[in-house]
Amino acid sequence: MTYPGTYSERRPGHQQPRAGVRPPAPAPLPVPPRRGPAGRRILTVLFLAGLVASVLPWWLDTPAGSLTGATAMTTAAGQITGLLAGYLLLVQVLMMSRLPLLERAVGGERIGRWHRDVGATLLVAVLAHTALILVGYAGLEGRSPLGQAGVMLREYDDMVSAFAAAGLLVLVGLASVRAVRRALPYELWHATHLAAYAVLLLGFAHQFSNGSQLFRPGPVRTGWIAAYLLVLAALAGGRVIVPLVFNLRHRLRVADVVAESPDTVSIYLTGERLDRLEMLGGQFFRWRFLARGCWWQSHPFSVSAAANGRWLRLTVKVVGAYTRDLRDLDPGTRVWAIGPSGTFTAAHRTRDRALLIAGGSGITPLRAMLEELPPGAALIYRARTPADVLLHRELDWLAQARGVQVWYVVGSRRDPGPRQVMTPDGLRRLVPDLPRRDVYLCGPPGLVEQCRQILRQAGVSRRQIHLATFEL
Amino acid sequence: MRRALVAITGLAASTTALVVLKAAPGTSQVAQELPAGQAPAAPVPDEPSPDSSAAPTSRAPAATRSPRPERRASSSPTPRPTATGATRTSPTPRTSTAAPRPTVRTVTGPVVSNEFGNVQVQITVSGSRIVDAVAVELPEKTAQSARRSEDVNSRYSGTSGMVVARQGADLDTVSGATATSGSYRQSLQAAIDRARG
Repeated sequence: MTYPGTYSERRPGHQQPRAGVRPPAPAPLPVPPRRGPAGRRILTVLFLAGLVASVLPWWLDTPAGSLTGATAMTTAAGQITGLLAGYLLLVQVLMMSRLPLLERAVGGERIGRWHRDVGATLLVAVLAHTALILVGYAGLEGRSPLGQAGVMLREYDDMVSAFAAAGLLVLVGLASVRAVRRALPYELWHATHLAAYAVLLLGFAHQFSNGSQLFRPGPVRTGWIAAYLLVLAALAGGRVIVPLVFNLRHRLRVADVVAESPDTVSIYLTGERLDRLEMLGGQFFRWRFLARGCWWQSHPFSVSAAANGRWLRLTVKVVGAYTRDLRDLDPGTRVWAIGPSGTFTAAHRTRDRALLIAGGSGITPLRAMLEELPPGAALIYRARTPADVLLHRELDWLAQARGVQVWYVVGSRRDPGPRQVMTPDGLRRLVPDLPRRDVYLCGPPGLVEQCRQILRQAGVSRRQIHLATFEL
Repeated sequence: MRRALVAITGLAASTTALVVLKAAPGTSQVAQELPAGQAPAAPVPDEPSPDSSAAPTSRAPAATRSPRPERRASSSPTPRPTATGATRTSPTPRTSTAAPRPTVRTVTGPVVSNEFGNVQVQITVSGSRIVDAVAVELPEKTAQSARRSEDVNSRYSGTSGMVVARQGADLDTVSGATATSGSYRQSLQAAIDRARG
């Protein structure tokens, strides 16, 4: 599988297998060229253009001055929110299509954030659409809104499924409210989220049988259907075809599982043609280990060593039932991977030098990235206890080989050491040229958020701060 | 989270803005006639006539623009048809009512508007008997209202429809299409009145 236009085409010398060389490889490693935010900006513009295009049919269909009275206005607002909700739903599904284009231009982390924000908006739009149309139609026909709901369910085509879709969407939305999600087991949350596909199906028909702008055959209706087909194609491409090609090509298997600390394991993977695996340090895959008890879920973990042509490694902290099972993986277990994805890489730097801040097992993507950053990087490694410091021998080795300054800041948040460092002044004392560096943050959400605020206070611009939280 | 709030606010604001923009009367002429109190009052047949003849588009008939309570339009149809109806299609009835002959005539009712669209009925009268009714215009803005219009049309219109059967505007309301049924009856009643001179 090839990804035209990705870095490896422009990175000569990195493609030969470095057989016989013990990775991490020797000194003058090539640094991936920068990738600007252009792709992301184009996608944002496309998104906004689509937003306008989705309301345009309504705008053109409605003669100016034709909305008189509260009822007509309510109905019109219902139509607008309906069109927007239809569009946003498609965008939501598209963002989760795992299309390599999106995963690499925007990055899984940012897509996740967008998905959450758009999701909240979509939920409000759907609720508004339902309420406004009910009230509006009820006004037109002289009924109560509830009575109108009954009439619509009985007499209008495809409204039963549409109401079901709205209900499911509310369910998905509620399950994703952060407090609720934290209380739910991942599996349950994931299952509810799969219902979003049902929303897509159930909500489809009523748009065309009852939508004022869509029921008539014509360019608008055709375009709307085409948008659906496009999203379905993206879904099939990103979720089925691309992974299929990738996995048939590389055939990853577990080679070994090694304990790094009492509660952390490294899983080594081998496969075919790994020298042609186009991956940057700091990127992640969504892994599905085809072993009993694990095969039905896939989880994102970043790779904890840069591409070396011979093996892949992920380092996982045991935090739940799933990760506990990973400790017992047998060598030879097949692995289904989707990726690589993410913009948390050396290629997305905006400056020549970088500061990396890791919290606990957040070191893993940074460890891989260290192999590809230009020399002169600095690493601050926050850990609660000395036992939580992972991969420290490799880090020390990299510090020597690539001229990286490494500070281990060990202790609880209230200890004097961490308290001194985790302030704008404390960071500036360690890294005087802080405002002129890219900062890569990876760790638990609390630490990442705290650091982000400190960095902003210390004068680091938002574009220089790269985030990767565990929450994905 | 903050961005989500911004997005939701943007959604609400832009929806409101779009509706308000479209609600603002455009450049069109007929917007300001008929103050609210006038519609239910005695018919004033001549007042809006210059407007209606000057604007033959007939898409947005004058009476609907006035800020009246919504319900009334569909539930109590009686007061308005005379006000707008007599003037709107004035050419046809005047020539025909002048000399009532026992021949076959076609009389067109006024355009009656409700929130779904416009309704206009045309009847064919032979002597004093209605032999046919045709809906010239029915609401079809949405798929649903198009379908209801279809229902109303198939029940009422035609040479064997309810209009011909009952010889009058006393028709059963088609369920699920109250407003359109009412408007149909209004237009029909006005056409019958006109046909009888």
